[in-house]
Amino acid sequence: MTENVNRLGNWLITGEVRWRRNRQVAAIYRGLRTILPLIVLGTFAEFINQAWLEPNGYYYQTLHVARWMLQRVRVQEAVLLLQNGTLGLAAIGLAFVISHDLVATATPVTNDQMAAGFTAVLGFELININPLTLAVGKPVQWLAMDLGLHGLPVGVLIGLLVGNVYRWIVLRWRQPANQLLRPMTLSLSGMVLMGLTGMLWLLRQPFSIRAAFNTLIRWPLQLSNDVWRLLDFSALNGWFTWLGVLGPIPTTPNQTQAQAENLAAAIQHSGWHLPHPLTVQSVIQTYASMGGPGMTLGLVLAIFLVRHNAEQRQIGWLTLISTLGNFNAPLLLGLPVVLSPILGIPLLLAPLATILVSSGFLAAHWIPAAAYPLAVGTPGPLIGYLGTSGALTPLLLAALDLALSTAIYYPFVKWASLAQARAEEEAQAHATI
Amino acid sequence: MPRFKLTHQWASVGAVLLLIVLLAIPGILWRSQQLTDVRANYRSPMAPVFLVPGSSATQNRFNDLVKELNAKTKTKHSLLRVEVMTNGQLKMSGTIRPGDQRPFIVVGFEDRRDGTANILRQAQWFTIAFKALQQTYHFNHFSAMGHSNGGLVLTLFMERDLAATKAHAERLMTIASPFNLEEPNPQVDTPLFKQLVAGRQNLPQQLVVYSIAGTETYGGDGIVPFDSVDRGKYIFQKRVQHFTQITVTGADAKHAGLPENQQIVKLIRQDLLN
Repeated sequence: MTENVNRLGNWLITGEVRWRRNRQVAAIYRGLRTILPLIVLGTFAEFINQAWLEPNGYYYQTLHVARWMLQRVRVQEAVLLLQNGTLGLAAIGLAFVISHDLVATATPVTNDQMAAGFTAVLGFELININPLTLAVGKPVQWLAMDLGLHGLPVGVLIGLLVGNVYRWIVLRWRQPANQLLRPMTLSLSGMVLMGLTGMLWLLRQPFSIRAAFNTLIRWPLQLSNDVWRLLDFSALNGWFTWLGVLGPIPTTPNQTQAQAENLAAAIQHSGWHLPHPLTVQSVIQTYASMGGPGMTLGLVLAIFLVRHNAEQRQIGWLTLISTLGNFNAPLLLGLPVVLSPILGIPLLLAPLATILVSSGFLAAHWIPAAAYPLAVGTPGPLIGYLGTSGALTPLLLAALDLALSTAIYYPFVKWASLAQARAEEEAQAHATI
Repeated sequence: MPRFKLTHQWASVGAVLLLIVLLAIPGILWRSQQLTDVRANYRSPMAPVFLVPGSSATQNRFNDLVKELNAKTKTKHSLLRVEVMTNGQLKMSGTIRPGDQRPFIVVGFEDRRDGTANILRQAQWFTIAFKALQQTYHFNHFSAMGHSNGGLVLTLFMERDLAATKAHAERLMTIASPFNLEEPNPQVDTPLFKQLVAGRQNLPQQLVVYSIAGTETYGGDGIVPFDSVDRGKYIFQKRVQHFTQITVTGADAKHAGLPENQQIVKLIRQDLLN
């Protein structure tokens, strides 16, 4: 490598390599790599479903899909099957692989590795059921396969928990009497324990994870200052994205009402004096989410601008279609951006910068604010144009924001690629020893 | 080979940008239609529920009903009462609470007499009130309930003046509305019935209609013959999206008591407000 890297870059690269050496992180990364095909396929299906087959989709509306597609409902069912099947399995698979890999670092016995994996899967299943259906004579409703992308962080947590406990015991119980004894004992007791924990959790339901999470992530939207509210909301969202909580940007009844009032004003009066020019829709969704949350269209362009990064480019091409429709889960998990210290920085910074710039333009009334409903899957730079129903200045601002975010991502992408190369060299050197 | 590599980088970036432009083309071409689509599908946050009393009843006719409905539903809806004077002026009492998206608006008339000529006039007065309220509260969709002749007033309004207001009527519930007036002979068509049938083509096709008949005897609710209510089918059926006829019997099935009939209160909650 003959790249010139400044001190900050070197420091970050060293940090990233050290971070990847961590056993837990390495297990998570291996897990993400394993489930990547499922995520790529599942997200592609989600993109097709939402952008092509749903009435509020971009291609559905612009290409008049309803007019020419035969058997649209059937097609949509098939696509949904693919989407739910793959994304549902991804979360369960992630729990399995992480637990399996953690035990594999302690023992070469396949039975132990498998037992650890399956115990994690069972744990994942047992806490994700509908408690109301847990009654004699009723079929139990398993929710584990229905969590979609939201299941991924749960899968990671359970994989880590089960894998580490199993590993800890394996390291202390080194010489079982025979090959069967240890995996049988550990998996049986582990599964019973998981069952009891799951039961206790369901009986008590001390709090709803989803409700608590929603309250937390929407908290900044209650702040009074418009720009601060958006910045804090974006930063918190970026932070959760980095932790692996993927999916669309959440919103609140207040924001929905502000958008409704904006739309009413745009429709009823001529001119663009909207009551709420700075909302999640008019700023974050329009100018800071091109390519999905985190302004990842800038990340894609940065990947293709950097040199000597064949692996990143492959991921970039592989995930391009869904990223252009603003579904960026495969890109975030493939590189990975999730849990990567180097790429986490621009993931936070790029949206913040674009929010600041765009809010400035909107506050100064240099551009009209987007009020029309956003079509799902609209190519990023076009969102402002269609949101204002054809104003040209939003296109220019979008181009500026895209260039800005690309510039922010560029050095970090370069360093991430160097860190990855260095980590792989290290791993190879380790293997040859 | 750095030069070749540099070109290679820009080629990839160029390809991605070109792809974005290609994907943007359908959006740019669709834009002219977007505005029409958005306007056609736009629904204001507020969607009031109009209540129109029958002949000889005032704008206070539904006070108890609204109280009862509010007691049984989670969100309390405000009540605005409008009386249209014979000269077209409006007298209002009550208010619409800010943020209330489904207020009840009762429209009553100074001249409350029965009879074809007055029902036709009341329909015109209703239009005056509707337009004024629309201008004040900026709604573009609504539902409505009419008791007795109030149902005829609403039907006439929808046939004659609704299109001009550009508002979307969603649901209409008529309670014991005599589409053939109090004519006891099923063989006779009253002039008003003929007018209602003649104007049915103007009824909005997306409308969902419920027509409720009360029967105290086998023949009617004591005032309105069952056949007269039943004739609603010649006006709504095969024109509106859904048309449902319901017959209510038992306690409180007398003509005047129908709006307070528990069965009907339940139907209002279930079919009109949900």
